[in-house]
Amino acid sequence: MAETKEFEEKAKKVFSAERKEDIWVLVLAAITVILGLAGVITPKTFPSLFF
Amino acid sequence: MTDTNGGIVKYIPGLILCMILGWMALQWDQSIHKWQKDYQESEKILKAYDAKEGQPFLSFAEYAAKSEEKYTEKLAAFERGETKEKPKKPHLLKEKDYVTLATTKEISSKFSFGERMIQFQLTYVAVLLLGGMIIRNTIGLPKLFQPGAVMARPIIKPGIILLGGYYLWSNLLKVGVFALILVFIFIFGTTVLVAFLGRRLKQDDGLMGVMAAGTGICGVSAAVAVAPVVNAKPRDFFYAVGTILLFGTVALFTFPYIGKALGMSEPVFGAWVGTAILNTAQLVAAATWYGHDSLLTANIINIVRVGFIPIVVIFCIWFYVIKQATAEGRHEKINKWQVIKEKFPLFILGFFVMVTLNELGVFTDEHRTIFGKQFLQIFFAVGFAGVGLNIAFDDLKKAGGKAFVIGFIAATLKAVLSAIVVILIGTEAFRVK
Repeated sequence: MAETKEFEEKAKKVFSAERKEDIWVLVLAAITVILGLAGVITPKTFPSLFF
Repeated sequence: MTDTNGGIVKYIPGLILCMILGWMALQWDQSIHKWQKDYQESEKILKAYDAKEGQPFLSFAEYAAKSEEKYTEKLAAFERGETKEKPKKPHLLKEKDYVTLATTKEISSKFSFGERMIQFQLTYVAVLLLGGMIIRNTIGLPKLFQPGAVMARPIIKPGIILLGGYYLWSNLLKVGVFALILVFIFIFGTTVLVAFLGRRLKQDDGLMGVMAAGTGICGVSAAVAVAPVVNAKPRDFFYAVGTILLFGTVALFTFPYIGKALGMSEPVFGAWVGTAILNTAQLVAAATWYGHDSLLTANIINIVRVGFIPIVVIFCIWFYVIKQATAEGRHEKINKWQVIKEKFPLFILGFFVMVTLNELGVFTDEHRTIFGKQFLQIFFAVGFAGVGLNIAFDDLKKAGGKAFVIGFIAATLKAVLSAIVVILIGTEAFRVK
């Protein structure tokens, strides 16, 4: 019983981590879009990262 | 470094490792794609030379000028509306490579190698997944890198959001209708089938609840969402996750080859993996491996599918809690709105915002290339490095027992039946553009 309760807590924590993770994901995507629209990232940026 | 470090510090080494591996794999990918283009161009030049029966090769300057001239002609025809598709800029060999080809009349082995690698689909996706899996299960992944490698997997999600810039609402609705049908029949159907089979075979409710959600809808995320609801024990949870990961890993490495063997087009393959593979990261990897059009279709099915997580949770509450309580003469209620609010995957809202911005004409072709092809590859590469490094055979061994058999049979049945259905529905229904 104690083991199950502990596990429930763990599962809840994992889920709240997934929620936080989704927010970070949205922020990261938003930054990329803003930089792209502002012209900071151009189609030449990606090829310039490689030899 | 241990957990006691707290904060984000513990994630940094693993994230840096995934970024380095991702960069190396993308460098490899860029090289083989360039060599493949060089191979195709060399082949074209040699064919033209053979057709002219012994006439000398053009000089490099003449070759470049001729290619440019042809391109200008095609572009003019496109601008006059005589052709529908805008021509692509010609891919020219470098002067040194052209001169070597003209002298030897043989295609460089480097170019043939690139062509061969693409034929075997050994792109950055395969390199990262296979490479990561081999590292993890041979030399092992030091503890220092493990938290960051786990954290790298969701970096696939910004890529999924950015891909939204490729769709119009009309595309989304067209494919979305089929996606809804597929999701409803196969994904919800598998959940219900596993739940009922579990009861029939007198399996533990906790275990079968997690397995039903996991094999039916969205792998580990759904299992995590359902676990507290059905009072799953830790052992049940790991059995279910082990089964889901084992099936996903087998599917990830075999489906692209099965798809090719069955002659599936990219949109059909995307619809298949979107329905049959249980985990977002694995299905995105398999679809990317197959091609960009495949990814566009798989992404819609996946978005619809993860949107169904709250509904599966509500089903599990009803099946395992409410129904049981009613049978025992007790009265339990579900706060449906609360479940939807708590379990809804937020990141898909970002995807819908991107689709709307595209519909409003905010993005140009350049933006779409930057977001939906270039930066998507960066996010995917880091994420796939995390996926590969987290395929540990020890975790897969945790799958076991009758529940494993039920889960595996249900997932396999879903894969076979959905393959038949998507092939019958055909390419046009799943083509995004």
